[in-house]
Amino acid sequence: MTSHPPKFTRRDFFKLGGTLAAASLLAACTPDETLPEPGIPTSQNNLTTGPTPTPPPLASLAIIALSRMSFGIRPGDIEAFLALGSTDDERLQAYVSQQLNPDSMDDTDFETRYNAAGFETLHKTHEQLYADHIAGNPYDSNDDTYWEWYGKPAYELVDATVLRAVYSKKQLVEMLADFWHNHFNIFFWQDDGVPLLVSYNRDVLRTHMLGNFRQMLEAVAKHPSMLYYLNQNNSTDAGPNENFARELFELHTLGAENYQGVRDPNSVEKDANGIAIGYVDNDVYEAARCLTGWRVDDDLGDWEDGIEKTGNFIYSKSSHDRFNKLVLGKYIEADQSDLKDGMDVLDLLANHPGTARFIARKLCRRFISDLPPESVIQTAANAFTEFRDAPDQLKRVIETILFSNEFKQSWGNKIKRPVEAAFSMMRALNSDFTRIPGSLSWMIGMMGQPIFERRPPDGYPDVKEAWANSMSILYRWNMAVGITENWMDDENLGLKMRTDVYAQTPTEIRTSAALADFWIQRLLGRTIAETDRAAIIAVMAQEYAPDEPLPDDHVQYVLPAMVEVILMSPDFQWK
Amino acid sequence: MPKSILPRRQFLQGCSAAIASMAGAKLTNLAFAKQDNPTDTLIVVFLRGGWDALNVVPPRDGRDRGFYEKARPNLKISDLLPLSDQFGLHPAMSPLFDLYQAGKAGVIHAVGLDHDTRSHFDAQEFIELGTPGSKNTTSGWITRHLQSSGISSILPALATTGQPTSLLNFTPTVSLSAPDDFSLWDNGLAESQQNALRQLYNGDSLLHRAGARTLDALNIVSPLVNGEYQPSNGAFYNDDDFGIQLKTVAQMIKLEAGLRVAAVDFGGWDTHEYQNEGNSGYIADLLNSLASGLANFYLDLDSGHTERLSVVVISEFGRRLVQNESYGTDHGHGSVMFTLGGSVNGGQVFGNWPGLDNDQLYDHADLAVTTDYRQVMSELLSKRLGNSDIESVFPGFSGSYNPMGIFR
Repeated sequence: MTSHPPKFTRRDFFKLGGTLAAASLLAACTPDETLPEPGIPTSQNNLTTGPTPTPPPLASLAIIALSRMSFGIRPGDIEAFLALGSTDDERLQAYVSQQLNPDSMDDTDFETRYNAAGFETLHKTHEQLYADHIAGNPYDSNDDTYWEWYGKPAYELVDATVLRAVYSKKQLVEMLADFWHNHFNIFFWQDDGVPLLVSYNRDVLRTHMLGNFRQMLEAVAKHPSMLYYLNQNNSTDAGPNENFARELFELHTLGAENYQGVRDPNSVEKDANGIAIGYVDNDVYEAARCLTGWRVDDDLGDWEDGIEKTGNFIYSKSSHDRFNKLVLGKYIEADQSDLKDGMDVLDLLANHPGTARFIARKLCRRFISDLPPESVIQTAANAFTEFRDAPDQLKRVIETILFSNEFKQSWGNKIKRPVEAAFSMMRALNSDFTRIPGSLSWMIGMMGQPIFERRPPDGYPDVKEAWANSMSILYRWNMAVGITENWMDDENLGLKMRTDVYAQTPTEIRTSAALADFWIQRLLGRTIAETDRAAIIAVMAQEYAPDEPLPDDHVQYVLPAMVEVILMSPDFQWK
Repeated sequence: MPKSILPRRQFLQGCSAAIASMAGAKLTNLAFAKQDNPTDTLIVVFLRGGWDALNVVPPRDGRDRGFYEKARPNLKISDLLPLSDQFGLHPAMSPLFDLYQAGKAGVIHAVGLDHDTRSHFDAQEFIELGTPGSKNTTSGWITRHLQSSGISSILPALATTGQPTSLLNFTPTVSLSAPDDFSLWDNGLAESQQNALRQLYNGDSLLHRAGARTLDALNIVSPLVNGEYQPSNGAFYNDDDFGIQLKTVAQMIKLEAGLRVAAVDFGGWDTHEYQNEGNSGYIADLLNSLASGLANFYLDLDSGHTERLSVVVISEFGRRLVQNESYGTDHGHGSVMFTLGGSVNGGQVFGNWPGLDNDQLYDHADLAVTTDYRQVMSELLSKRLGNSDIESVFPGFSGSYNPMGIFR
């Protein structure tokens, strides 16, 4: 079967027979006055209401690993994981080792698809992106063509990001690319450097995300996307712009958990090396001074000497504040060599124990739980500090987290964020596409997480409270319907996404109970509570008995609806 | 200042229309008795990013005007609409000025979060939790208001973008951007699917409760889906994010399902560079969108609903007095709030003005906070929202509560 009949015929097929249970609709409008449970203290900067009252039973390690290190379980993933060794630990070791050495993985299927997608701009170097799409945009800025050409690289990056998340075998690096984009967030439509999002993603985030944090931090601080986004490009000795410096402390390194507010820097406790244990506003101002003159070699200052419009990072000595500064208790002398003031700030921040804990906490929140145990945070922070000069520091930190007992023994303390929910549906259903239809991006937007479109610099939240609201959940459900029913196509542009659940169902499985069991196993990799199973069987059965053989046309018409319900269920959302 | 936002938005609207045309039959409606609202419906408009309060309500005259102009040679606002002898309103806010003159809108100056932070995220969190300085709070201030006042209705709380921290852990909140977007795509078996979802989401976890609430919300909202909304009194909502949100709130108020609180978000106020060119430019556009949205919202509801309406407009902080070299302003401290509603003592600027001389500034840099934002909210609670339990809503604050006469 290649296509469904038009959707209204399904209703005709049942002739509106007896599918409505009025009782549950009556129940729907009962005012809900549930009071919250007494919660435990919230984590800094990321509110949570604590663990779920009745956590789902611990899943197998295969499911835990694949759900939290990938964008969802594809058919065959669990079997492949189980074949990696004879014990859970062996398999986990082997899986993580594969995933953290992505260059040695065969990814032919994805690469074939990527090549077929026909991206026109993603191969361009940073300088080419700047020259072709910014400085040398050939179109008239009053025309849509100008903005299409300007936006094209970033739009292609969105498409490529979805393609990778759904098809690439290198799932852990895709999860990490997503993590680091949110950590060092850039808004898609930030002013002057939209096309450069491509080089930011490739040359900064992906280049360093298994490498060294200090190097990554410097690459971020020097990339024009960040220089534009947080106004560093206009920060001069005459008047430092504090925007980047503040977020460098608060979001990129020490975190708000180490912010001591507006107060005298001398009043902050110092460690054995004389470095302040936290930061105050004065540190932000002084760091902003240190970073003056860090800017883009762009066309925004024609009148300036030495600006060649390459679109690269440039140090403008003439706009650098040359006088002495004091950052986190460290005295920075006047007239240091070029860039040294800013480098000193990055050194101070990257080596600070507060940064180690902040980054460790965020990674643990990403990979383990909304409220990760302090034990694993401290272990990861220790690794961060121990290997701070190693070229593979971040890889070692991630290994520490993924091999921890806390990782292996937690389940259901997180739900999939919207993009994960969407991608995992496509993965689970083996959906077929090369370029995503616009409706998919729109749907992800309705779920609250449009790709690369978090406007504030803090990145999308990584706790369930941010996503457990009616709008986001409704569009999670609509996404399940849209994908399974093949309603996502963009006819005008000829962009299709094909999903055929009927063809993926063995022909010998023909009772409602057997079909439900097959698809529950296929999509969740495990069994579920009997009452939930019965509800899913009821959708498939309609007027038939659970063990009654179903006519083939019934299966064709109803199967997608049952599959959708499994995708909509809480069990599909846990991780 | 995303200059390329327009093509993107047009693109999205194209997709949206295409998808809307696919949306299927409406759900079976369940009629409910119209619910009385014994107290005001509170609308909290949160301006994310820290708005430049000193350019929204600048000093008009005297010594402080001098300090203001000296600090902002390129950014100062002129031709102010007169709010008082001392203060004026940015001319882009003229739609709201009419309501101010009519006594329906009021201003509180030098107000804000009385806590030492210039972090957006800290400041927003403290304000919305209602516990400045402490993040160890598992509910928002509005959550605690709704709980302590014992409110019961079909639709007690609405959030038009996600679920804000002020409603943290208030499960009955319905989040939706626009009723037309709020339906389950019907493949012909949607009713059967919803029955199954009722069972699947029958549980006590956050996710279960949110899913069950989503099913409730589908029933509450279904009468509005695919219906053309006609605002009253010729009111017109701009087709921008803010206008769409306000239109949704107005529809929900008129549904008479007992809406007590709506949280509306308006972002984009973090103006570190090129924020205005004289009286026009980026912030002027935002302010016009804000004022025109609020004025039309009021006009729409001036059809029997404004006597039970209280709107407050708040931002996490104001911005630095002195402009920066990028023709913008960095994070500051004291801010300005607006109130709007049938029972507002409007046409006045409330608050103790601390002055703009160097030693009058917070940290020698920003407008000081002389009125804790909790004063305004507490007065609302006790006079308009029928809740005298200020201590439950703002722990540790009730002893400082001292009504300023902002509300009748």
